[in-house]
This record gives sequence, structure tokens and C-alpha cells, in this order.
Amino acid sequence: MTTYHERAANEIATEHPSRTVTPIMRKLVEDSRAMLRKSPADARQRAEAARADAIGRLEELHTQVRANFERRGIGYHRANTPADAVRIIRDLLGDAKRVAKSKSMVGEEVGLTHALRDAGIDLLETDIGEYIVDIEGRGPSHITAPALHLNRARIREMLARNGGDLPDDDPVRLSRYVRDVVGRFFQDCDAGITGANAVVARSGRVMVVENEGNVSLGASHPKLHIVITGLEKVVADEAGALAILEVLAPSATAQPLTSFSHFLADPDPGQQRHVVFVDNGRSAIAAGKYHDVLRCIRCGACMNACPVYRAAGGLSYGSPYMGPIGAVLSPLLWKDGRYADLPLASSLCGRCTEVCPVGIPLHRMLLDLRADSVRAGQTGSRLERLAWQAWSLAFEGPTRARASAALGRIGLNGGRRVFRTHGTATDPRVLPAAGVPERDPANLVADARRPDSVTVIAPDEIEPPDLVDLFRLRAAALGVTLLDHHDPREGDRVLRATAGIAATGSVLLTGEAAARRPLLGARRVVVFLDPAALVRYPSGLAPHLGDGDCLVLTGASRTADIEKQIVRGIHGSEELAVVLEGAR
Amino acid sequence: MARVALFDPCYLGTLRPADASHAMRVLEALGDEVTLIDGRCCGQPSYNSGFRPEAKRVALSLLREARHHDVIVTTSGSCTSMVTHFVPGLFEGSRRDGAARIARRFREFASYVAAHPGLDSLALMLEGTVVYHDSCHQRRELGGTDEVLTLLGKIELLEVRRLTYEAECCGFGGAFTVKLPEVAAEMMTAKLDDIRASGAKVAVSTDFSCLGHLEAGARGTGQTLETWTIAELLAKALG
Repeated sequence: MTTYHERAANEIATEHPSRTVTPIMRKLVEDSRAMLRKSPADARQRAEAARADAIGRLEELHTQVRANFERRGIGYHRANTPADAVRIIRDLLGDAKRVAKSKSMVGEEVGLTHALRDAGIDLLETDIGEYIVDIEGRGPSHITAPALHLNRARIREMLARNGGDLPDDDPVRLSRYVRDVVGRFFQDCDAGITGANAVVARSGRVMVVENEGNVSLGASHPKLHIVITGLEKVVADEAGALAILEVLAPSATAQPLTSFSHFLADPDPGQQRHVVFVDNGRSAIAAGKYHDVLRCIRCGACMNACPVYRAAGGLSYGSPYMGPIGAVLSPLLWKDGRYADLPLASSLCGRCTEVCPVGIPLHRMLLDLRADSVRAGQTGSRLERLAWQAWSLAFEGPTRARASAALGRIGLNGGRRVFRTHGTATDPRVLPAAGVPERDPANLVADARRPDSVTVIAPDEIEPPDLVDLFRLRAAALGVTLLDHHDPREGDRVLRATAGIAATGSVLLTGEAAARRPLLGARRVVVFLDPAALVRYPSGLAPHLGDGDCLVLTGASRTADIEKQIVRGIHGSEELAVVLEGAR
Repeated sequence: MARVALFDPCYLGTLRPADASHAMRVLEALGDEVTLIDGRCCGQPSYNSGFRPEAKRVALSLLREARHHDVIVTTSGSCTSMVTHFVPGLFEGSRRDGAARIARRFREFASYVAAHPGLDSLALMLEGTVVYHDSCHQRRELGGTDEVLTLLGKIELLEVRRLTYEAECCGFGGAFTVKLPEVAAEMMTAKLDDIRASGAKVAVSTDFSCLGHLEAGARGTGQTLETWTIAELLAKALG
């Protein structure tokens, strides 16, 4: 097994991830911040409280989940180890041969895709980013944007390798090519496997969010729907789940909400639904000092903001979980020491902790994990220990410390003459000068600022006080067509919304209206919305969710899996129209 | 005015031996009576590497010296953050409380000066342009960015430019820079690009650890860059 240092140095030398990743992430972090400002001021506190509460009483909530699943006819399963998870899912699949899988980090954690293929199952990764990295074979480099490390030209090469005859590398064309491959697979498959973002204990509903529509297909199309998720993903009630929604997409992708937010309830007639909760050490983490890490909602904000992630990319971590959350979680999940050096992959700048929407003290945990691994003998060579012991003796008192400082100066200044007078290709730094530096007054005269370097801070949008106006503004920003009345067209799927969310431009569909197959088969989706049923924020939906199947639609299906460029209309119609009844 | 101790951190004392005298000059101009604490370390280097007993040993030596003082002004954001946030956790029980009581008396130099009642009586003036590098410890652990910028705003004729990506780490990170030099250099290159884009050739910061690293990179890449601590800048602005 290689070390993080070896992998990172190699990745920088061969792929130079920063070139692709840094500009994307700089924009994303600013956009996320702007989008979070459009969420309620207390959204982060509520999301954090909901997650902290769940971690504090995992077993109690699981008892509720189990009872509600029984009522609904959803299978409840628990896997202690990755091997258990694979075995349970293989048993559930029975003689199913063709399986459509959507993105699941726990799936990556237990090695589900490879294990099922080894068992002879024809499994397709149906998320566009996952489909691409599956062909590449190196795994995802980001938890919400798996193919972030690949540019469009490379992606076109990957697709060509798998028979994709593509005249150019336009992201729209590439995305739609994968969509069509996936769409054909869904027409004839035996089971769908999806992840989950939360499982609501009070109602026994599974919350899953997605942009492309492949989860919609996976959860509704085949006769068998299997959900794989982490043991910690339970949340007490709908208010908690909605609080998570309010921060999840803004933090992850700077969207108000993803295109589809599902609250999956009873299986369809003739369909089976099972949820497999993977423990794999989570119970032990919940009982220990790192329990707060289980609050994580897998938004990826920490890696978006992380300078180390940007510099060395996501694949350098060598783990399904990358970035700051990966550096904390990986050594806790895999206790054999293989990821013991990941906590060193941080300059401790603290930006991860700053952006985490559920208040995980990530960089503090990285510090504690470093001490743990040194204590356990997993990192820190004997030589390094000796060096620190010598150092601590030197700096224990002023006399030795002053002498060490003087020696250090001599050493550095001497060293500067002998080596590191020039930097290397990968590290241009020379040894620092010690002493009183020379100053040139001319250096106080600056050049003009490079014009492209001026910080552009998007002005805060003036939020219309009226909910209807706010809804129109936000829905239009998502490309939703706003209609005063409905002129029927062939292929329209006409639905009535139970409620709408003004701040996100979303509509809530419940019961029969939430049926995904006809929704995704429609040429155009037209939703009638009563302005009196508008709430300001997602959290306002709680009283409208009832107890059954719910779907929150926020714009048409889309993807940004290729260079973060938005392509609308993946599975399902490009056009979502809303008729505001009786409004101007 | 006040009797304070000035803690000259180990690495600063080693690399920029004149910095303590700059800080001393500023504090004395403010009317403080200053005692120097040098030849000590907060323990951060080994703490960040996971070697805590070693960190505890040197931090204890610092606390023993510091306990005689009501205010310990520290010319490094990162050392101030280490002492106030992390050192008490190295001790158990009542010793932790005692350590926390002493740790609370540590103040980062620029923030201390910014809040000093004697500040408005100083005539600070320096003609020229500098760019401010906000260290991660100053920004996130201490939350002291605004104080530093307010302080710099009091220097007449000085233009203080801001970096476009001010919130981004420069890639120093102590042991990080040694253990993962290629990653650190990538981060440093991004910061040096941002500094170059600002047009300024003098970067100022509360943390010389960042500055030393950036200067080493600038030298290696041929970029003209002087790096000044806030203490050096203020001492110059005193005339």
C-alpha cells in the first residue's frame, strides 16, 4: 500500500489536479455561500441539531424505523461488516441478473459494485459521473462529482473506449450519450440499488436526493428496490430531514435543492423495497470521542473548500471518502492502519470546519487522529520520535532554546550555500534566510493590480417579500416555465402540487402525483400550484408531507457531472412548467 | 500604561531575530512596560505532528514563565491560537484549569495593539503599498482579521491591498510543509500568484510562519517579494 505522500506527489506530477479543480472549486465555494444566504438564517443550526440528536440515540431511532418499515412492508436489514452487506444484497437480489445502481458512498465503502459483478451480476452505474469513472477504473474523486478530475476531452476518450462514437466533446452531447445508455438499461432490468440521504424514524420514509432522475428510475422502475445506507443516516422526524435539505444542496453544489428530493414510502404494488443499514464500525464511532463525525450529510463542502484536496485531488486519498471528511472517517472505518496517514493531509487551515453545515470540528479531529495514530504506532517513525524528543529537550528551557536558535540560524545560512539554493520542479522553495533581512524601499511602490484579480462579490439579491414573486424569481432562475394558464400539448403530464416552496422555486407532489414513471416519460410536466399553498422555505413543508410518498421537484432533471457545466433534461423532460392559479 | 510580557516565538526568534525589537518598540511607544519572554515554544510543531507528550513538555515551560504576567503579547497568530485553544487540553483535571487560566492571558500582537487605548496617540505613517496576507489562525482560530485591518488602516499614506483569495491557506501548516512538500508547494504557488496579481511587492501578516514559507517560494521562483510582520510594519510606521 502506498502512502498519501507518494500518491499525492505522483498525482501532482502526472495529473496536476489543481489546474482543473481549483477554478471550479473557487467558484463553487462562493456560489455555495451565496446560496446558503438564501436559506433561513438558522438552517445550519437546525440541521446540526437534527444530526446530533440522531447520533445521540441511534438505536432508539432504529427501533422506530424498524416498526414503521414493518407497517409499510419495507424490509429492514443490518450489516455489521462490508462482507455482510454484500451477502445480504446478493440474497435479496435472488435471481436478478441486471441491476441498475445509482450513486452511494456506502456502496463504494463496501465495494458493492465489484462484489456483485464478481457474482455474475450485470451491474450498471447509472449516475453519469459514476458511469464515467467506472470505465476509467480509478474510482470517484469527489463524493458528489465523481468525475471531477476528468475534463471533457478525457471523458470523451473514456466513452469512446466503451463504444461511444461521439463527434465532439460537448458536455451536453456527452451527458446525453450516457443518459441514453442508462435509459436503455432501465427498460430491461431486474433491480435498482440506490443510496439514501436520510431515513425518517417517525414515518419510516427514505429521503433520497438526486439531479439526474436515475434514482427516480431505480426506485420506481424495477420490481425490486434496494437501498444501501449507513447506520447513522437516521433522523428523528420530517422537520430534521427538511433541515438537512435546506443545507445539503446549497453546500454541495450551490443549488437551492436538487431536481428531485424523494420521500419514499410504501413500495408500489408488486414491488419490493429493502433498506440495508451498514454498521461497519459506526456503532463504535458513535460511542467514542469522534461521534460528531457521524453527523456528516455527505455534501462535500469540506472538500470543495479544502486547499489540500484542490492541490492533490481526490484520488490521492486512496479511499472512497476523500477530502477532510475522508481524512477523518477513513482511519476510523478501516482500523487496520491503511489510512492512518490521511489525517496528515491537512495544513489545519480550518476551512473545512468553517464550511461544514452540520458543525463537525473536522480540523480538530484531524489533530486528535494524528496523536492517536502516533500513540498506536501507525504513523511517526522512531527517527521522528527521537527528533521530537530532542526538540522538546532543546526548547524546554531558555538557555538551550537560545543556543538551538543560534545553531539553527548558522545551520540554515550555511545550508543555503550548500543545498536548496534553487528549488526543485515540484517544490520551488529555497531554504529560508535567517537574520535581519535586507529591505529595498522601492518595493513599497506597487505595480497596478492585475485587472482580473479584483474580487467580485455578487450583490445580495433583493428578496421580494411576496411569496408568489419570490417563487417566480427562483423558479425562473432554474429554467422553470411559468404559465398563467395551460394550453395543453401532446405528451403533457398535468399534475396538481400539494404545496410549493417560494425560496427554492419547488413544487411538492404527493401520492399518485409523485409517481415517477409517468413523470419521467412525459414530454412536458405541467404542475398546477395554488399560491395559497406556498411556503417560504423547505422546512415549511413539514405539515404538507402527510404519511405517504412525496416528491419535491426543483427544476427539470439535470447534471453537472462534466466540468460542473449544467446540462438540463437528463432522465425525463427538459421542460417543467408551473401554472400559478389565480395569481397575476 | 500596562505591564506586559512579549512572547517572541521560537521560530521567529530563530529566523527573524530583530522582530522582537520591532514589537518591543511599538509596545513601548504605546506606553507599555515590556518584559521579553524568549527561548520558549508553544509546542505546536510536535503537537501538529501528533507527538503530544513532547508538546506538553515545552508548553509547560512557556506557561511557567507566562504565569508571572497578566498579559502575554505574542507576535504570531498561530502560537497564540495554539496556547489559547490547544495547550490547556494537554493537561488533566485541575492542572487543565490552571493552564487555561494562564492561556487566556495570551493576546496576538496586532489585535492587542488594535485595541490599545494608546493607539490613537501614535503618529503612524508609511508611504507605499503592501498586501495583507490573512493567516488561517488569525482568520479562523482567533477571528481577528477585522482588528488587523482596522489597525493597518490607521497608518497614514499606506495603501493596504487585499488578496482575491484571502481565505485560502498558503500551504505552510508547520509539519505539513515538510511532510507533504509537493502539496504545500502547490498551495504556495496559488498564493504567490494571488500576491503577484495584487501588484504589491511587500506582503504583511501576523504570522511569520506563512511569510517565511512564501518568501522561500518567491526566492526560488524569482518573484520580488519582501515579507514583513505587522510588528516590523508598525515599527517602520513609527518613523
